[in-house]
Amino acid sequence: MSIASTSQLAVPAVVAFLLGGAVAAALAAEHTIHQKGKVFSAAELAIKKGDMVTFLNDDNITHNVLSITPGNDFNLGAIGPGHSTPVTFTKVAVVDIICAIHPSMKMQVKVTD
Amino acid sequence: MMLADRTRGVATAPGWSGFVVVLCAMIIAMAVISTRSDANVIVGATRTIELPRQADQSIDQLRAAYRRPKVIPFPKSNPYTLEKAQLGKILYFDTRLSAANVLSCASCHSPAYGWGDGQPRGVGHGMRVLGRRSPTIINAAFGLIFMWDGRAATLEQQALGPIQADVEMNLPLEDLLARLKAIPEYGPLFKAAFAEQEITAPQIANAIATYERTVVSARAPFDAWIEGDEKAISDTAKRGFVTFNTKGNCANCHSGWNFTDDSFHDIGLPSEDVGRGKFLTSVVKMQYAFKTPGLREIARRGPYMHDGTVSTLDAVVEHYDKGGIDRPSRSELMKPLRLTTQEKSDLVAFLNTLTSTLVPTAVPVLPR
Repeated sequence: MSIASTSQLAVPAVVAFLLGGAVAAALAAEHTIHQKGKVFSAAELAIKKGDMVTFLNDDNITHNVLSITPGNDFNLGAIGPGHSTPVTFTKVAVVDIICAIHPSMKMQVKVTD
Repeated sequence: MMLADRTRGVATAPGWSGFVVVLCAMIIAMAVISTRSDANVIVGATRTIELPRQADQSIDQLRAAYRRPKVIPFPKSNPYTLEKAQLGKILYFDTRLSAANVLSCASCHSPAYGWGDGQPRGVGHGMRVLGRRSPTIINAAFGLIFMWDGRAATLEQQALGPIQADVEMNLPLEDLLARLKAIPEYGPLFKAAFAEQEITAPQIANAIATYERTVVSARAPFDAWIEGDEKAISDTAKRGFVTFNTKGNCANCHSGWNFTDDSFHDIGLPSEDVGRGKFLTSVVKMQYAFKTPGLREIARRGPYMHDGTVSTLDAVVEHYDKGGIDRPSRSELMKPLRLTTQEKSDLVAFLNTLTSTLVPTAVPVLPR
């Protein structure tokens, strides 16, 4: 094929870079945790560094998912039914997660290499 | 797939540039989110999803959800024995567990008052009025978390708190142990319960918690109706049960046979006490949030709310009907209900059916 102008050369280079990023992202696994019935669908979840856990509120009331592990804290805030929020864990850790509102909801995410 | 397109040359360029722009935007957006927090956990954007519609429950399905359990649960770490429960009862009623020798657990959590004390707020050491109402211990065996602000995970953790608190029983643990060891008749009771002569703080907590778990509400007219006796409660009360589960929005928190899911909510009361918000300072919904109490024996357990400021069940219903103070921390479940006068009185009639005939408790003879 013939090489055309400089601008068209730049496009393939950018695509290669983006492709690399997309492939790396695709290797990270995705997990879903449901909240129906005021319980998390798993009491323990083992994942790898870089995996994403989606917290799905498929219950009929608002939940407030929260990590209580220092250094791995996060607070999703009050989220109503029919919403999902992705959370990516980037470090090896054992993270305790609760719903601030409902003490029946507790789980542990174990992040390994 | 994209690599193959590239080798065919630039004939496909017009479709390319738009695609590349979108991909660049996504990568930049991800980079922005990552760099904004160098935290170990990265929270992405919340999105809306469609949930399948749930069918409404029939009244018979609702009734099935309210059946009384047949067994009281005891934890594996502190199983029930008769000797432990008996020792626990003695400790529970023993005023020598307070510095001034006048307060016991039973002073504020008294069988005479539905296992509370009938006061708006508890009274402690030196007759000092405390900040919150004394909760009942009825059905505590089924609780998931304890105290108005949830700071005790188990009954064992809760039991020694008031003993040591300077505003309550005001007795440091070492003094408590010294006192009990100096009472000869306690030794054999601890040995019978724990197979050890040595008296320790964990044993005291375990014994008291075991006794507390034996305090459960008896069968009420509501339970007879749940089990199929249509004459057990009035039609007004039956309508009240339906309102409780539908327009009243009550069962979202006051759920199940004990009428609580132990959840924490700001119900919009005008009190400066931030409740659970003191421990979860960054969580908006926990400010002014208190644990949902159960409703068994509720007609005999006023006054109501964490500070006893609402005196009657009619006033409680009125508060919920109005919706409470509208503020960011208020639970999304709280809103004006627009109940009719009939619906309000139906609700109160229903709540009255939760009173059982509690068997009077015999006060134990204490060791000397």
